Amino acid sequence: MIGLVDGNNFFVSCERVFDPALEGKPVAVLSNNDGCCISRSNEFKALKIPMGTPLFQLAPLIERYGLLLRSSNYALYGDMSRRIIAVLREFVPEVQQYSIDEAFIFPQFPAGTDWQGFGAKIRETLLKWTGIPCGIGFAPTRTLAKIANHKGKKSPSGVFVMPDDPSACLAELPVGEVWGVGRRLAPKLEKSGIRTALDLARQEPEEIRKRHSVTLARTVMELRGISCIEDRLPEEPSQSITCSRSFGHPVTELGDLEESVASYTAKAAEKLRKEKLTAAGIQVWFQYYPEYDPLPLAGGNSAFSFVFPSPENAPGRMMKLLRPKLKELFLPGRRYKKSGVLFFGLEPGTPGTAGDLFAPPPGRDAGIFEVVDKINARFGRGTLFTLGEGIGKPWQMKRERLSDAFTTDWDQLLQVK
Amino acid sequence: MESPAVCGFPSPAEQYMESPLDLNTLLVRHAAATYFVRAAGESMTGAGIRPGDILVVDRALEAEDGSIVIAAVNNEFTVKFFRRDKTGVRLESANPKFKPIRFSEGMELRLFGVVTACIHRFGPPPSK
Repeated sequence: MIGLVDGNNFFVSCERVFDPALEGKPVAVLSNNDGCCISRSNEFKALKIPMGTPLFQLAPLIERYGLLLRSSNYALYGDMSRRIIAVLREFVPEVQQYSIDEAFIFPQFPAGTDWQGFGAKIRETLLKWTGIPCGIGFAPTRTLAKIANHKGKKSPSGVFVMPDDPSACLAELPVGEVWGVGRRLAPKLEKSGIRTALDLARQEPEEIRKRHSVTLARTVMELRGISCIEDRLPEEPSQSITCSRSFGHPVTELGDLEESVASYTAKAAEKLRKEKLTAAGIQVWFQYYPEYDPLPLAGGNSAFSFVFPSPENAPGRMMKLLRPKLKELFLPGRRYKKSGVLFFGLEPGTPGTAGDLFAPPPGRDAGIFEVVDKINARFGRGTLFTLGEGIGKPWQMKRERLSDAFTTDWDQLLQVK
Repeated sequence: MESPAVCGFPSPAEQYMESPLDLNTLLVRHAAATYFVRAAGESMTGAGIRPGDILVVDRALEAEDGSIVIAAVNNEFTVKFFRRDKTGVRLESANPKFKPIRFSEGMELRLFGVVTACIHRFGPPPSK
């Protein structure tokens, strides 16, 4: 069975965990640079203000509706996302993070398992441990799990288990909402009479492969309950980009691990640039084997999330920022199995656009930077910086409604009276 | 025999690489559910929580009568004793200047988590 778990209105939910005043109110989180709304509370959705509405259009509504707006706080969302994955791993060892707020889980339980009850237990634990309400869908394939998740989110329990015969569910779902079909392909399919997910499931995969693509043929198989999609990057405007691999043999050296992260970062960054996107931050994770000798040690995962000083798409600059963190995370003596990266906070642009007009230009003398980095490491960040960065850092993102980095900065902890 | 331990038994030092003591093992039980917050008021000085102290909060634990908890009251987070008895649920401070906050039926008590430790520093934290 495959489960898809995702955080409801994830960014808004993260904000609410640390600010009770946001509960029950129309709340939205704005994109980088306070551009437009990218996450909305149910109360905000009820006002029929669509996703992507720019701030200047929201401004006149703030007072009328009592809207509460927050700048995107990726330091917080990245850490809360890491916690959600960690909680999921308490239930299921095999977890595949799909985006900052979605993960597939692969529970290996016998037939007859009470999936509804299992999902409810996961959901309850996530809510208690992290404060984030989640939706969960179970089905035999990823594509069906996605559909089950959407249904779960709308049900009071938050959990939906796809019945053995999914026809009724598929019949009510427009084909454009099937994972991997998307809005571009939907009109084409509709012309040939394929309007719902059920219509698509009833096509001959071979026929679909000839007329469309092997990808769509796989989707047909998946809708029929035959699992055949391992890794799918979103084809619609991406919400996140990930890259991960299992190593051919156990990796024990920090250098090798760094290299793997560098190569996945480069690969994922290539996709960023191809889609003309920048990332607000990155999550890096490692999976390591259990050890039995000389001391039994459980296998596990380590992960961190890192927010770039300004939106980024260049792997070189990213790696420079990441290397010291990798060193911190590395456990000497452990054998590593797998590593991966995930970019989040994706938005159109290139570094140096929008609010980053004055971002430091790329391609500087690496030697000088090494010295600068060393001095800053010794005496604190910002001791030495280039004039290009500007003394007042005018290139920093506009984040006028930013909440604190409650979970990643000792100086920004939640205050309790 | 002068040192029976080494006779026939391998020295434990050969087998075990001891790792240095890690404060996380002392303070954090459920890592994914543990949050740090900073005490800002005088209401819990009687319980040894002074302004500026860092509190370790475990969301995975259930509050019991007598637990120290973080709760949302009037849209603000507060640290208090959680009390539950026949008369109902209330939050009590550890300072006579503060009155207990009673929760009657219909009033929702929103708990953030249970405080498991208080970190009180003498002087500034180590610089990086």
